[in-house]
Amino acid sequence: MLNVQNVSAGYDERKVLHDISFSVPTGENLSIIGPNGCGKTTLLRTIANIIKFDGDIYIDNQNIKNMNRKSLAGKIALFSQMTTIYFDYSIYDTVMMGRYSKKKRRLLSDIDESDVTSVKSALKTVGLLDISSQSISTLSGGQLQRVLLAKALVQEPDMILLDEPTNHLDLYFQIELIDFLRSWAKKNGKSVIGVLHDINLAVRLSDRILLMNNGRIQAIGTPEEVLNSRIIEPVYKINVGNYMRESLRIWESLS
Amino acid sequence: MIMKKSIKFIILLIVAVLVLMLAICIGSVFITPSDIFKIIVSKLFDIHFDVPPIESNMVIFLKIRLPRALLSFIVGGMLAVSGVLSQSVLRNPLASSYTLGISSGAAVGASIAILFGFSFFGILTLPFFGLSFGLLTVFLAVALATKLDRNMGNITIILTGMAFSMFANAVIAFIMAFANQTAKQITFWQLGSFALKDWTHPILLFPIAMIGIFVVMFFSSEMDLMTFGEEQAKASGVNVLSVKWMLLAVGAILTGCAVSIAGVIGFVDLFTPHMARRIFGSRHKIVIPATALMGGIFMTLCDLVARTIVAPVELPVGAVTSAIGAPFFIFLYFQGKGGQRNA
Repeated sequence: MLNVQNVSAGYDERKVLHDISFSVPTGENLSIIGPNGCGKTTLLRTIANIIKFDGDIYIDNQNIKNMNRKSLAGKIALFSQMTTIYFDYSIYDTVMMGRYSKKKRRLLSDIDESDVTSVKSALKTVGLLDISSQSISTLSGGQLQRVLLAKALVQEPDMILLDEPTNHLDLYFQIELIDFLRSWAKKNGKSVIGVLHDINLAVRLSDRILLMNNGRIQAIGTPEEVLNSRIIEPVYKINVGNYMRESLRIWESLS
Repeated sequence: MIMKKSIKFIILLIVAVLVLMLAICIGSVFITPSDIFKIIVSKLFDIHFDVPPIESNMVIFLKIRLPRALLSFIVGGMLAVSGVLSQSVLRNPLASSYTLGISSGAAVGASIAILFGFSFFGILTLPFFGLSFGLLTVFLAVALATKLDRNMGNITIILTGMAFSMFANAVIAFIMAFANQTAKQITFWQLGSFALKDWTHPILLFPIAMIGIFVVMFFSSEMDLMTFGEEQAKASGVNVLSVKWMLLAVGAILTGCAVSIAGVIGFVDLFTPHMARRIFGSRHKIVIPATALMGGIFMTLCDLVARTIVAPVELPVGAVTSAIGAPFFIFLYFQGKGGQRNA
């Protein structure tokens, strides 16, 4: 259970989030949508305790401000798009890094049986076990995202945070990723909180949708509750419903 | 060619021993390996040979060549490891103590100590000043670079480093103007040299190098994660802020101590980590010891070149490392522009 209470945050002097409160029960998926610059990613960063914030965030009734990074990493994993690879690692080594929060500190070998089992099963899940010795700089964007997904999975979190992970993926991988995360959450009774630009993907992933605007919550609820034009149009400043219907019409006229 | 990393590492160790041997044998007087063997055996086990090694060779070997070779090896290792640290922690392939201006900062410290004739810590005075000023510079340089550019891009790193190096050189120029008789001693700091060193220096630096490298190796998992960015590292459970500053401080200490003894020697810290990664991959558990060895090998070879290529005149070793390192720096920059992988 994630409980966000009166959270405000920002960078330097600029306030990005204003008094955000919501909660996500265990086993529920939530998508965060909203226009550019509305604070979606910032909200995700506060939940991962990456940036400073005012207010309180509880995970399973524990205040994340009082948790050390390792125990927080055992509860929440962050899966975002890869920026730049500066230093090359093999797929296997990259995924193994995700085990960091589980490991005891030792100088020579800190990898034990459970680490190896977990990494291998995650690699199998994402379909990269056969090429696990390949280096990550040789991979396509889609494959790289799968490596990072595996890295998040071996953290064995209760909740995965997605930060626009589909940006560099083609349609096939976008759908594959979202469907995988949905079934992962449902099968294991876990939660996914995703920042997604694509409303269709947001609906596909989640049970509830949180619509943000100007750093505040505009609406939160089931897709039926949030995605009606009365609520969504003022935020996006276009008629989303018309756009979707128009797209469908074009598509139908093509086939 | 696929070779096990452990085998590659053993080869590296053998190369290190061979290079040290080479540095000991070659010079104005050639000392044969068999002489070296005899000297070592006779010293260690008190065994006498029918044809004893030449007495003067024994002095050259024990008093000049061996300490010098060991010193250059240790200094090379220290600088190289500090390079790995800066590159991984700042997540920038062009970062190093030299390019960030930390080496020059440490040289300012050493120059001040020489100018005022400070000696309150005895033999430790110069390293103390070197590491204090190194620490000060790393703090200022990284704080400034972060302020200019949160992501610490290549250009930010280069410009910050340039500004700091130029400023440090200006300070050294001032110091030299005030100190005519010690000026020569200070000039040498700006290009680095292992000439006129005895056993006190390698003995002094060895424990610092070992402790520094040991501490760094202890944090190799954190460094692996930090190459994926601070946010990713935090979300994976790394206490980024404290690990980052702690490692940068260790890097500055390694650099500062090395510079205070040998002067500013450029590009070793930039060059060798990349070589090590190319051969051993990026995992820090292996990259750190491999870089230390490669830094030692590279520096010992450069010193060998510096003192033999235009003998009897001796070049500053920094001139040799820069001659090799500067083109590499340019290569890395342009490769980075086109080759960095964005996904």
